[in-house]
Amino acid sequence: MSLTRSLLAAALLLAGCDTHTPPPVPGGDAERGRLLVIGYGCGTCHRIPDIPGADARVGPPLGGFWRQAYIAGVLPNQPAELVRWLMDPPAVDPQTAMPDLGVPEGDARDMASFLYALHDEGQ
Amino acid sequence: MKKIAATLAALLVLGIGGAVAFVYSGVYNVAATEQHTALFFWLLDKTAARSIAVRADDITPPDLGDPALARRGLSLYQDHCLHCHGAPGVAPDRLAMGMTPVPPSLLSAAREWPARNVFWTIRHGIKMSGMPAWKFQLEDGDIWAVTAFVMSLPHLAPRTYEKMVAEVDRTPPTRATAPANGPPDRQRGKQALSQYGCTGCHQIAGIVGPDIRVGPPLRNVAAQKYIAGVLPNTRPNLIRWIQAPQQIAPLSAMPDMGVTPRDAADMAAYLTAPD
Repeated sequence: MSLTRSLLAAALLLAGCDTHTPPPVPGGDAERGRLLVIGYGCGTCHRIPDIPGADARVGPPLGGFWRQAYIAGVLPNQPAELVRWLMDPPAVDPQTAMPDLGVPEGDARDMASFLYALHDEGQ
Repeated sequence: MKKIAATLAALLVLGIGGAVAFVYSGVYNVAATEQHTALFFWLLDKTAARSIAVRADDITPPDLGDPALARRGLSLYQDHCLHCHGAPGVAPDRLAMGMTPVPPSLLSAAREWPARNVFWTIRHGIKMSGMPAWKFQLEDGDIWAVTAFVMSLPHLAPRTYEKMVAEVDRTPPTRATAPANGPPDRQRGKQALSQYGCTGCHQIAGIVGPDIRVGPPLRNVAAQKYIAGVLPNTRPNLIRWIQAPQQIAPLSAMPDMGVTPRDAADMAAYLTAPD
């Protein structure tokens, strides 16, 4: 690699070009997911960027959620697993403090899309 | 004067620019198959040796001449050191052969180093060299036993070593099971969090480590209502969780790291009030 190319690569990297992207959730609508997250009251327990008033510490903060390796420390953090978790957490982990909110699959997909789009706020 | 200042400023900008280009261009080869240059190797080696000698200077070794102590050291050496350093007539494991720097044979260490330096190196390890710190994994008495064995190596013929191995009782390391006397030590807890590999999965407030999200970031533990979403966040619960997560939550991905009660109490003290 020539020096010029190296320097160019350096400049591009410094410009903040990031190759990591969250996995897509098939059939999920992130904007609808945002409204559902407000509607289901997720902010009563979680700190969530972009949701007004969502600053609780009962559940973990959800900023940068897609980077987390596990959901609730027990499920590999993949779209299908996240949808399953959101629909009925105690069915996955009977010990969890997170309640079953009766979320239908379509809503869970939309919320998963929204959650994966959350930026990391450093908490 | 103005000219000198301008030249210095230009040099500074050039230096910073060069450093940034060096990092982001990927020009430096981190491959373990590429040895350091002779000068850089000498610099690292000398810096480490001087650092150890200065820090070990005020350590007074116990009596290391007791053969029973060296035998105990041999048992521990078999389980914790042999893989990387080998032994008289015995090769290290394959994993050690590809390391850069290669873990040195310790057969002649005692000819060049006093026991206090050997003890210090085992206890504290050497950053970026592959040598781990055993401070939180072995009790000091056991580290002295390993030191006694290493100090005896220059006298050991391969066949004598073989005979000793056949005769020695393999005993596990001593682990302190008693809870700590007195209040927890936050700063010791901070070090323990690095030394039990916690930062390999968690980002922890006030501790430099990899940008990783295998476990949740531990930045504001005191404010959190639950531990791992299953256990009310109290100090005794946190200490229990650190020691045996899967006993409390069998589905948890967090493994049992073999943390002693004292170390867990110190870790909990740091986590709830980090720097």
